[in-house]
Amino acid sequence: MQDQASLVAVLNSTWFASGLEPGIQTHLAELSRTFTAEPGQELFREGDESLVFGVVIKGRVALRTRVPERGDFTILTVEPGDVYGWSALVPPYRSTSTAVAIEAVEAITFEGPALRAALREDAALAQALYPRVLVAVARRLNATRVQLLDLFAAEQVRTW
Amino acid sequence: MVIPVSRSFRGNRPETEGPAFLARADLQVLFDILREDGRRLIGPTVADGSIIYDDITSVDELPSGIGDEQAPGSYRLRRRDDERLFGYVVGPTAWKKWTFPALVPLTRATRDGHLVTFAPEQAAPPTLAFLGARACEIAALGITDRVLIGAEFIDPDYMVRRANVFIVAVQCTTSASTCFCTSMGTGPEVSEGFDLSLTELDAGFLVEAGTPAGRAVLERLPLRAASAAEQYGAAATVAAVRAKIGDPVPADGLHDRLLAQLDHPRWAQVAERCITCGNCTLACPTCFCTSVTQATDLTGAKAVANRTWDSCFSPGFAKVAGGSFRARPRDRYRQWLTHKFATWWDQFGTSGCVGCGRCITWCPVGIDVREELNAIAPPVARSPESHLVEPVAATPNEFVIARVAATKAETSDTTTLTLIGGDPAFSRGSPGQFAMVALPGFPPLPISISRFLADGIELTIRGAGPATKALCGLQVGDQVGLRGPLGNNWPLDRAFGRDLIIVTGGIGLAPLRPVLHAIIADRRRFGDVKLFYGARTSADLLYRDELEQWGKRDGIDVRLTVDRGGPDWSGRVGIVTHLFDQATWDGSNMIALVCGPERMIQATSTTLAGRGVSESRIHVTLERHMECGIGLCGHCQMGKYFVCRDGPVFSIAQLGDTFGREGI
Repeated sequence: MQDQASLVAVLNSTWFASGLEPGIQTHLAELSRTFTAEPGQELFREGDESLVFGVVIKGRVALRTRVPERGDFTILTVEPGDVYGWSALVPPYRSTSTAVAIEAVEAITFEGPALRAALREDAALAQALYPRVLVAVARRLNATRVQLLDLFAAEQVRTW
Repeated sequence: MVIPVSRSFRGNRPETEGPAFLARADLQVLFDILREDGRRLIGPTVADGSIIYDDITSVDELPSGIGDEQAPGSYRLRRRDDERLFGYVVGPTAWKKWTFPALVPLTRATRDGHLVTFAPEQAAPPTLAFLGARACEIAALGITDRVLIGAEFIDPDYMVRRANVFIVAVQCTTSASTCFCTSMGTGPEVSEGFDLSLTELDAGFLVEAGTPAGRAVLERLPLRAASAAEQYGAAATVAAVRAKIGDPVPADGLHDRLLAQLDHPRWAQVAERCITCGNCTLACPTCFCTSVTQATDLTGAKAVANRTWDSCFSPGFAKVAGGSFRARPRDRYRQWLTHKFATWWDQFGTSGCVGCGRCITWCPVGIDVREELNAIAPPVARSPESHLVEPVAATPNEFVIARVAATKAETSDTTTLTLIGGDPAFSRGSPGQFAMVALPGFPPLPISISRFLADGIELTIRGAGPATKALCGLQVGDQVGLRGPLGNNWPLDRAFGRDLIIVTGGIGLAPLRPVLHAIIADRRRFGDVKLFYGARTSADLLYRDELEQWGKRDGIDVRLTVDRGGPDWSGRVGIVTHLFDQATWDGSNMIALVCGPERMIQATSTTLAGRGVSESRIHVTLERHMECGIGLCGHCQMGKYFVCRDGPVFSIAQLGDTFGREGI
């Protein structure tokens, strides 16, 4: 496990935090803590209150969703540099999937309520951070649409 | 592209009943005859530590018993252990010194008040004999003939000078380390473009005439018939020179290979050594670029316009008012090399290089053009574009029969068939090509060849419809009909020396699998190779054993992703473009090969463009309804292309705005 300072440095080198003003990076660092998870460890569960927003620095987090009688599907993996727990920033603050570390994970995390309070109070932080969160969510939405097309299926999905 | 080398504007072939022998002691007779005919004799002689061409009158002035040692940036004379008169290779002088002098007055002009006059200078060149011209040098004269007097507009000065020359060729009986005439197809054998040719033996010379003028001289020489041993000895010596030189710059496809590498990083690297002195162009026997300078008297009333040799390495050569188009040394080096070895063909129908090696020897920093060519445009064992094998059973009414030798279930619906006994043409196909595969009662299907074997091919087929399901159900020993290999191939030659990114999804890996085999077989030719492969689920990944091997053993950076992950999958889940859309690498030196559903290709090429991979370097393979496979049935038309015949591999730039457009 690297120390907090070096992890923050790594965070600042990811697309998510790179290029933010130093003051905002510092503010983020003050709000952050380091987090590690062992393979198989559950980070949060679908439907539960979403308490943590995180950026994966190392390892892989699977986002899973359960279909009754079919079991769990991994719908996405969160890779280094990418975020998880965006629902901690968006009402109703409920996790939309279950997150499981499938490799040893190192992450920088932010407590949802504290981060939300900081974003309310610090307009500059909000102005810098929300677009990045939006980019992360939009990228994920876009990918989900492509996955929905099921392009690699043998038969084309019928269109109208 | 195979373009014959034109060796001589005269085109005369030797007309002789067999070689004659001239004793060494009688060589002076030849000198005297040529001089009696009013010719100034130009030939080899030692001066300033090298063997140059200059005016000579006597055999005594020839470099008797002197040889040379040449290497990049190095030239040394050495004493031979015999008294041969032509026991060396070409020196710093090229014959263009006389046919195309370094300074030629063009025009005399006057200004008298408002009146001006321009009077052309008339060349009155001497009648010359060139003694000791080598095969490469005669080829060089043929090339300058083509450039300067072979088209609509001619250089009158060159024409007059050239017409006044009698050529006594000398067959090369030794070579330098810098020679590569064999690769350029110009030597070492002198076969045309001469009046007389000499092959030196210890006691004298084999003499042959190449023209009526040469025969007229030959008939005045004190000759005897050459013995069979002398003839054999002469031929064997020249053959030994050919063998010694070898083939240092395989020229097959060089034109296309070189022009495909305009962005190669080596241009910048060689430019760090090149001091743009222009020695190579001055020493080159075919470089013909000139400038005109004005010399006036002090009043400006009289002026002479002089044409002087110039060099594309000169800083001002490509200068206009706004600056130079080739300001950087790398631009000038690239201009020179690509002109000599590629665009010269387009302009003049020949190579601009004869392989004499002067540019190598006389480069003060020892840049070896052969090394640069082989690094920038490496020879290919099979030049893909130009050497697509002739397909068998090309027309839709015929098939060759192949037998299933093995089957392998890749996934629940996809099978790889090993087919042997079809025709050797299939084994010689090229990555990206396809075969038309037929079973009686089913429509023949275009299937990408997924592996080339010594005695057959593999086809990977997904059972999606009745015909593909029937093919997937074949057993060992069953037969199928084949036509092919058809279509074009992945431009792997463009990827030599570059980084390669291969992006594919689902069954799209099948046509790219032979690319990976070709890369692995010749791994050092390529830079970083990344394979990004997406599938529906982990169970749908093809060639799983090979994927692991490519990553672990073969130096390929293999990244996999699936659209949905099951309990057995701890790899990445997500779309294939997310494997690199946030990467930090620079794609400006990359070639991309992409195959998959068209929607995926579009997303991938957009993402690659964002990484700096230009559209001309993104190659994709398209799928269209094909029935004939040879551009006759019209089904697979896409814009101006038939995908079967013009493709299936295209660059995004080639496809232009037809790609991704709905309903094309």
